Amino acid sequence: MLYKKAKIVIYSFSFLTIALVLELLYLNTTQNISNDQIKLKKEFVSLIQLPDLAISTEATFIRHRSLSTTFDIYKDDGVLREYFPSSFVIMNSKIGSK
Amino acid sequence: MSRYLNLYLIEYAFNALLRQKYKNIFISFILSFLIFLLSSVFFITSSIKNELQLSVESLPEITVQKLISAKHYDIEVNRLDEILSITGVNDAYARVWGYYYFANAGVNFTLVGIDQFEKQYKNSLQNLVDTTKGFNDNNAYIGQGVKKILSKNYYKDYFNFILPDGSIKEIKIGGTFKADTNLESNDVIVLSKENMRSIYGMSDEYATDIVVKVKNVDEIETIAAKIKVLYPDTRVITKNDFKVSYQNIFDYKSGLFLALFIVSIFTFFIIVYDKASGLSSSERKEIGVLKAIGWSLDDVLKEKFYEASIISVFSYILGVFLALAFVYMFQAPILRDVFSGYSELKTAFDLPFVFDIQTMVLVFFLSVPIYIASIIIPSWRAATMDADEVMR
Repeated sequence: MLYKKAKIVIYSFSFLTIALVLELLYLNTTQNISNDQIKLKKEFVSLIQLPDLAISTEATFIRHRSLSTTFDIYKDDGVLREYFPSSFVIMNSKIGSK
Repeated sequence: MSRYLNLYLIEYAFNALLRQKYKNIFISFILSFLIFLLSSVFFITSSIKNELQLSVESLPEITVQKLISAKHYDIEVNRLDEILSITGVNDAYARVWGYYYFANAGVNFTLVGIDQFEKQYKNSLQNLVDTTKGFNDNNAYIGQGVKKILSKNYYKDYFNFILPDGSIKEIKIGGTFKADTNLESNDVIVLSKENMRSIYGMSDEYATDIVVKVKNVDEIETIAAKIKVLYPDTRVITKNDFKVSYQNIFDYKSGLFLALFIVSIFTFFIIVYDKASGLSSSERKEIGVLKAIGWSLDDVLKEKFYEASIISVFSYILGVFLALAFVYMFQAPILRDVFSGYSELKTAFDLPFVFDIQTMVLVFFLSVPIYIASIIIPSWRAATMDADEVMR
């Protein structure tokens, strides 16, 4: 065949693209968050009223920004800069900081 | 097919790539890896962000906390009446919640007090809790992570809280929250308010903070301002502040990666560019020969374009494919720890799939066109010269 390698390139690209699309479809059907789960999550959050995810607990304000103090600038404060590993930043409420 | 694509050129480009097989395989390997890394971080971020945005909507609109010398203090419960009388306030209640440090395992539990397990709470607890021993004021309902830690420490059915005076309060474990809410509930222990107060040694007149519900979104800022005027010693945080802060944290963390990625990808391109422009001998010669046998500038650039596209698009698709599998099928081992801190009480972390077209497009434009440019530009320079000059 005159351009065998060109066809190999085109076929392998089509194969890769199809694999990617199939993977996306698969993830969309299996890993997607279902409506029931969303409902459960919302119900849980409205029950306990804590906004942050339980993915890190090492800073005092991690579950709720209101536990930071305004002077904990480099350590704990919500208003300020990031510090590793888990500083969550919040702007003080515009009214609160006036 | 051949009407749209010049198969001869593709054939030629592929052969040209094969002529320097190992170099090109290495380049596509590195490029795929960079794309894989960046898309993985973005996928994790968008998935967590999505999760947070889902839950932030169910929060009360305003949180009021008391500050003394800029530190958080318990707030008087009787302030509730004043806040409730502000026009536009739908509902307000005092919350009792906080952390409890469990020294044996070195973890902080989040304790949340619920109003004597009133009927409405009982109903939602019933939905949320997996196994129950009947809803009882003296029971605690715990997250999966807490359960794991407690059973490691031989607390299967009950837990001994140490009160401020040193005495011990035994509380039975009533049930665990469903795994579906793990990202939110992992470190949570829900108790009755009465139990909470005795664990914290808090009197009935005080609460941790006050949350306010407002029906009309437009009134939130005004009501927050009124509360601030009413109680100048408080800090008033609105739901909008939370949203901003989420944005900040994830922008920061993925931004950090983006910065690293840009540095590494530009280093990579500089090397490629340098290699390509300094290719001198073989590739320059090749371009010279092509020109000499009658290829136009257009043809040479087109061929180079095909060559670069084959490598970069291949790497892009492979990188994204692997990243999706890594993040959503294998739940991103190692990399997700960047987002979860060093807490002992880590969640099982089921990252929900979010189809994030924005990320894919961003990564595409950060990688593919830049790589193509880094190949095309030096080739264009070589191809504009006279054939004999190039070959010399």
